Amino acid sequence: MADIALSPPLVVGHKSLAEVTHDVCRPMERRPGGIWWAAFAVTFSMLLLGVAAITYEIATGIGTWGLNTTVGWAFDITNFVFWIGIGHAGTLISAILFLLRQRWRTGVNRAAEAMTLFAVMCAGIFPLIHMGRPWFGYWIFPYPNFRGSLWINYRSPLAWDAFAISTYFIISATFWYVGLIPDLATIRDRSQPGLRRTIFSIASLGWDGAFKTWNRYEMVYLLLAGLATPLVVSVHTIVSWDFATAVIPGWHATIFPPYFVAGAIFSGMAMVLTLMIIARKAMGLEAYINLRHLDVMSKLVITTGSIVGFSYLTEFFTAQYSGNQYEQFVFLNRALGPFFWAYWTMVSCNVLIPQLLWIRKIRTSWAAVFVISLLVNVGMWFERFVIIVTSLHRDYLPSSWTSYRPTSIEIATLIGTFGLFFTLFLVFCRVLPVIAMAEIKGVLKHGLHRLEAHR
Amino acid sequence: MKSRIITILLAIGLSVSCLLLAGRMSQLHLPGNQQGYEPVQPIAYSHRLHAGEMQIPCLYCHFAAQTSRHAGVPPASICMNCHRQVTSSLGGMHAEDELAAKEKRKPRQIVSAELEKLYDALALDGNLQPDPRKTPQPIVWNRVHALPSFVYFDHRAHVRVNVACQQCHGPVETMERVRQVSDLSMGWCVNCHRQANQTGIAGARVHASTNCSTCHY
Amino acid sequence: MSDKYWRSLEDWRNVSETGDAEFSETPIDIEAGPDRRGFLKAAGFSFGAAMLAGCGRTVQKIEPNLQQPEGFIPGRPVYYASTCGGCSAGCGTLVKVRDGRPIKLEGNPSHQVSGGGLCAVGQASILGLYDSRRIAHPMVDGKAASWAQADAFVQDRLEQARRAGGAVRLLTGTVHSPTESAWIGHFLGSFRNARHIEYDALSASAILDAHERTHGARILPRYRFDKAGVIVGIDADFLGTWISPVEFAREYAAARDPLGSQYAWHTQVESRMSLTGTKADHRVVLGPADLAGFVSDLHDAVIKGGSNRPEVLQIAQRLRDARGRGLVVCGLQDVAAQALVNGINEALGNYGATIETDRASRQRRGDDRALENLLAELRGGAVDVLIVAGANPAFDLPGGEAVAKAKLLIVHAQRMDETAAKAQAVCAAPDVLESWGDVEPVEGTACIVQPCLQPLFQTRPLVETLAAWSGKPGVALDLIRDQWRQEIFPKAKSNLAFEEFWERSLQDGFAQYTPAARARTAARRESEPEPLQKMDPQDGFHLALYAKPALLEGRHAYNPWLQEVPDPVTKIAWDNYACLAPGAAAKLGVATGDVLGIQCGGQDIELPALVQPGQHENTVAVALGYGSQLSGRFAKVGPQWLEGRPTLNERGLVGVNAAPLLGFDRGSLQYFRSGVKLSKTGTTMALACTQEHQTVSVPERLKPAGAKIRPIIQETTLVQIRESGDRRAKESPRPELWPPDHPYPVHHWAMVVDLNACNGCSACIVACQAENNIPVVGKDEMRRKREMHWMRIDRYYSGALDSPRVAHQPMFCQQCDHAPCETVCPVLATVHSDEGLNQQIYNRCVGTRYCANNCPYKVRRFNWFNYVREDRMANLALNPDVTVRSRGVMEKCTFCVQRIQEAKIESKRLGRPVRDGEIQTACQQTCPAKAIVFGDLDDPHSEVSRLMASGRRYRVLEEINVRPGVGYLKIVRPDAPAGEEKENG
Repeated sequence: MADIALSPPLVVGHKSLAEVTHDVCRPMERRPGGIWWAAFAVTFSMLLLGVAAITYEIATGIGTWGLNTTVGWAFDITNFVFWIGIGHAGTLISAILFLLRQRWRTGVNRAAEAMTLFAVMCAGIFPLIHMGRPWFGYWIFPYPNFRGSLWINYRSPLAWDAFAISTYFIISATFWYVGLIPDLATIRDRSQPGLRRTIFSIASLGWDGAFKTWNRYEMVYLLLAGLATPLVVSVHTIVSWDFATAVIPGWHATIFPPYFVAGAIFSGMAMVLTLMIIARKAMGLEAYINLRHLDVMSKLVITTGSIVGFSYLTEFFTAQYSGNQYEQFVFLNRALGPFFWAYWTMVSCNVLIPQLLWIRKIRTSWAAVFVISLLVNVGMWFERFVIIVTSLHRDYLPSSWTSYRPTSIEIATLIGTFGLFFTLFLVFCRVLPVIAMAEIKGVLKHGLHRLEAHR
Repeated sequence: MKSRIITILLAIGLSVSCLLLAGRMSQLHLPGNQQGYEPVQPIAYSHRLHAGEMQIPCLYCHFAAQTSRHAGVPPASICMNCHRQVTSSLGGMHAEDELAAKEKRKPRQIVSAELEKLYDALALDGNLQPDPRKTPQPIVWNRVHALPSFVYFDHRAHVRVNVACQQCHGPVETMERVRQVSDLSMGWCVNCHRQANQTGIAGARVHASTNCSTCHY
Repeated sequence: MSDKYWRSLEDWRNVSETGDAEFSETPIDIEAGPDRRGFLKAAGFSFGAAMLAGCGRTVQKIEPNLQQPEGFIPGRPVYYASTCGGCSAGCGTLVKVRDGRPIKLEGNPSHQVSGGGLCAVGQASILGLYDSRRIAHPMVDGKAASWAQADAFVQDRLEQARRAGGAVRLLTGTVHSPTESAWIGHFLGSFRNARHIEYDALSASAILDAHERTHGARILPRYRFDKAGVIVGIDADFLGTWISPVEFAREYAAARDPLGSQYAWHTQVESRMSLTGTKADHRVVLGPADLAGFVSDLHDAVIKGGSNRPEVLQIAQRLRDARGRGLVVCGLQDVAAQALVNGINEALGNYGATIETDRASRQRRGDDRALENLLAELRGGAVDVLIVAGANPAFDLPGGEAVAKAKLLIVHAQRMDETAAKAQAVCAAPDVLESWGDVEPVEGTACIVQPCLQPLFQTRPLVETLAAWSGKPGVALDLIRDQWRQEIFPKAKSNLAFEEFWERSLQDGFAQYTPAARARTAARRESEPEPLQKMDPQDGFHLALYAKPALLEGRHAYNPWLQEVPDPVTKIAWDNYACLAPGAAAKLGVATGDVLGIQCGGQDIELPALVQPGQHENTVAVALGYGSQLSGRFAKVGPQWLEGRPTLNERGLVGVNAAPLLGFDRGSLQYFRSGVKLSKTGTTMALACTQEHQTVSVPERLKPAGAKIRPIIQETTLVQIRESGDRRAKESPRPELWPPDHPYPVHHWAMVVDLNACNGCSACIVACQAENNIPVVGKDEMRRKREMHWMRIDRYYSGALDSPRVAHQPMFCQQCDHAPCETVCPVLATVHSDEGLNQQIYNRCVGTRYCANNCPYKVRRFNWFNYVREDRMANLALNPDVTVRSRGVMEKCTFCVQRIQEAKIESKRLGRPVRDGEIQTACQQTCPAKAIVFGDLDDPHSEVSRLMASGRRYRVLEEINVRPGVGYLKIVRPDAPAGEEKENG
């Protein structure tokens, strides 16, 4: 009884179990509407554009990017880190919040996990295509060979990346799929005999909803959550080492791991907000994704955002305190040099604007939060751009200072990854339950409603 | 019941195909590995005869191996050192001599078919004099031992420390037609270098570098 | 591949190309190129499939010789001593011939003139041999002809002229070949009205004229900078382009050895920032109008000891203190001024000491007065037959197109240049590497030019042509030997028989004799010296036309290597431009890249502006040698892709020809023009500049509080060196927790670069390019900062904008012990060798570029594209001992590891250790100033160990503890250091 008084309901408007199932499954059983097709058309053409760009790049050479001798990474790795970061919210919500018994997560976890997978897919493209000879990409995995056993360089962060990201993808995929099983079964049972039913019955691995099954299922889910939790921290830590282990001022910093992890969750949460705010409107899920979620997630955004902001300050302090003129110069150059606009975009989008969320009115306004979440995503993309490009373009020897400007190919590639991401998400909304029915039913408190009815 | 039969059949099928594949696998090569390559040469030159029976030292023909990175294929002039006299197999010559003795005439010069090609290449006539009507044509051999062109092997260093030719090229003195015996893979080179550093070559200590730039530059 | 050697071009064509195109010593051949490259990509993707399918074998052919030439061993290089034909300086070369084809030129260490160095032009001239666009056969009226036909045609017309006594003129560049001059004599002797005119597009005519006046002989003396204690250079870029830069650079460096008995003090008086000016201890920046005035002031100050200009007095004082050790050189094309200079040198007793007239130089013999007359004749249509040999007057002379006015124009040329295009008869000239010849750059030093392979085309040397036309046809070799037998052999007073003498000379590349001493007529003081040339200083800007060290007057405009060398001072390649002083640019409101209109004497050209520190306020400097028809060939150079921009300008050429702006004044070719109008066109143009930031210090606005100047360039003073005795305090080995991760048991290769000796001439860049098969990338890639040169020379300015101090710093892979690149490569494509080398294994590289990002020196180069090597003949210049890298692969300097390997294995073969100095990297070998020393640190007696112990030695970015393996020797500034160096040094 206690929690009734304390916390407002996670699902508003006294939904019955049937209604829940109905609400969630409806989009899948209807033919897609005009809006969906329009959206799909847009995102899919973006995707095609990206495919074209990448094909051209692989056929012609990395020279089709705006890189030069001094700036060897720019858009490619920026996008990579950006997408990996986006991925983090999913795992955080599904794993950590699950372990912490944050029941509000049930409304958003399914979508967030899907988003994670798609984001990691987008990210995964870049380590491959940024190689000069992608067709030899498999060389970064250790495998027995005829070269007198020439292995990989275990000291190289890039090698660690390969492992970190593949692990991350596999675990999140498994986690997501296991979570799906009961719902797949529900869909199976709702659908008429035919292809659809066959597919879902295979996919749901003969789920029978028996008590025993549920029991084992929960156990597995718990274990997977335990497995996934360290990944939230490890993946972006390792990604941050790509820079932290280098000698380049602006990269060579011990603060990077926590800084990157916080940033990742920050951007991830923002992306979840963006997507869910659209989804709930488009798919009529207002009841399940409501102000409570908005409020909680906004708070998470402020927290992580402030950590990021603090990291920015710390970087400057360390540089100043180190007395290392190369270090000091890089940060002055960031804030006041040729790329100052990128830096200040980053600061305002990531640090200043999120502060608005302290105000409850803003925190609970769908429109405001939507805008802010978009800006945060922009800001976080620029954070990676700033870290990579401004550190590289002016390093030790002034003679090799250069500038950087992206080519059409690079921009097209970036657009393409967004195309891929949203296309996948749209398809996901069509074919799978956007909300974990099985879980959300657990937080309905419908028993309580019945009680009210008796009065 | 039915399903069980199917299962059994599938199992059998699988194991059979695995066995077949395993058999096939043994002949499979990675791209670039030309182990066992044994091309037909323009002239059926027999290493067995020359290096084996006649015991002509390798370096007599492949003299460059001592002084150059390439052992090289000998110029035709080297062949002529002997084949100015020897124009056919010993057996053939004896036969002719006997025949001539029987027919009471001085033996004719017989030229074996393969050597004919050599003389043609050099534009020589029947009695090995330059023939103005012919033009010299280089003999185009098929290269057997070819390393990828980003690998720089140097015969000098190996000949100097008395690495036997056979160690890499196999028992050439037993081959009618030269065959690539070793797979010439990097692992194969490196292992030999590592071993040489341990055990030395022909009793002598050697420094066989395993730096990448020993072969790649 | 290298098993296939070839004897003639036909034979070479037969040599089938095989091997994988990813990396091949011989590059992708274009016929099969695309498919094969396509196949490889496919192969990459469908690796598994290929594996199961088993791999299709690439069949390689081997074509051994039938008869092995004497002393010819496949895969073993042979060196032939010869002479460079890049310019008229006549430096000695050693031609490296591998499997029958010349692949590299090196300086001949024992050569009397060049002494082992070779400049960028010399290094690049190997491409001239393998230039498939050369004139392949004689031509008559634009149609291909046989030599018989050409001779018939020409001799018939010559016969007419002979009978009619028509005017026959032979126009050549400087002829310093004894045999050629002799035959020119024979040939012209048979005409009643014939004359031979020599000219230099970069003329020193005034010097010769002045000596005719003051010393009674029209000679160019030989300047001996190595003997000088005080050097005054007046508008003479003697380290860059003036007369004999390699020779002078060597002597100059020798004269400025801080440990030597004397350290030459050098002042440079000039209007623009020349390469020589960058090395000067003291620069006087004067407008072109005032240079002659400066000479007369200096003359008065030296002779009379009086002048109203303190700095002139100062210089005069220094000169007087160094009697007989001073050297005043002047590049002004003003006979009167030159006469004064002679007066100064005479008065100071420099003649016979630092200036030799007995062994006079023959490197510039041009006579501008004769040239001017000829042009007048031509315009008047008074010339019946004009024969042009080894010159391109239609391009590099003002009004040179008048050559077309000759009734018959015969051109002896290698390429279809502006002049050859106008000729009725064109004689195909051979390259210097495929023909016999002789050269006498300095009286008493006769050099031999010997062919290193059969002529690739139907060409014929000039001497043979002249002999044929004189009716005494002969083979060049015989003609030259006869000449030597009659002329040089007797003078040499050798105790050998001629044959041995010839053989010896052939082996050495040169022969020496003592020329008859000239009666030294002391300089005649003229009763009333001719007035100096006047230039109106008020009238707008002055134009200074100059030559770049790589491109000279433009004869090498066809050469992609030379087009791609960044100018040593401006760091710009693939263009010429109008250099303006910062002040002037501000006044005009133009920035670098704004296109300017330049009006001068009726001529009008448009060029992008370049703001050049250290230039005189109202001087605009423009480089000659651009806009040549020969540069039209670069339409397709560099990668062609979506956003790629062309290398050629809208005229389809590289740069703009400024030669029409030249002029004649009182019998000498003028490189300074007055009354120049500049106008903004409003358009801008991107220049391919390889260095954006010009100073070591960071922009003021971004300067961290209390930050010192980055200690990248370090300077010291003579005083400091003398005090320290050039010893450095023994460094105590840094405390280490772990055992050293890189022990160097056998060798520890290292390099030391003397920044004081280096003058930035960029010969090393081209030498490296030639040795290591470095591709040409074109203007657009250079502009995008993607040049592929493994070696770059950083040029930093310091001090005031109008009179900056300049430092040149060769920068290449520093072979760090704690190499940041090595730890980050995921596939171990770059690892440390146990000889201290930072190895780069191209075939293992997947191209993540992390190593390049993590390199503090930014010396790694990435193959952004497949730099297609279209020209299969040019590909014959590739070094078979170095892999040709494909796209997507990182590459960098490896201390010429192929040379190290060769030397190690060869010494192993001979059963002896590698000797110090036996291994010379390409850059070290060619350096005229001997600024680069490579060797083994494990050998305590090696030169490099000695220099590492020098007090001047420092390491760049030592403070970040990457432990670079390259040491630099500090620049020496004779004057007291300003605060700046105190911080640095």
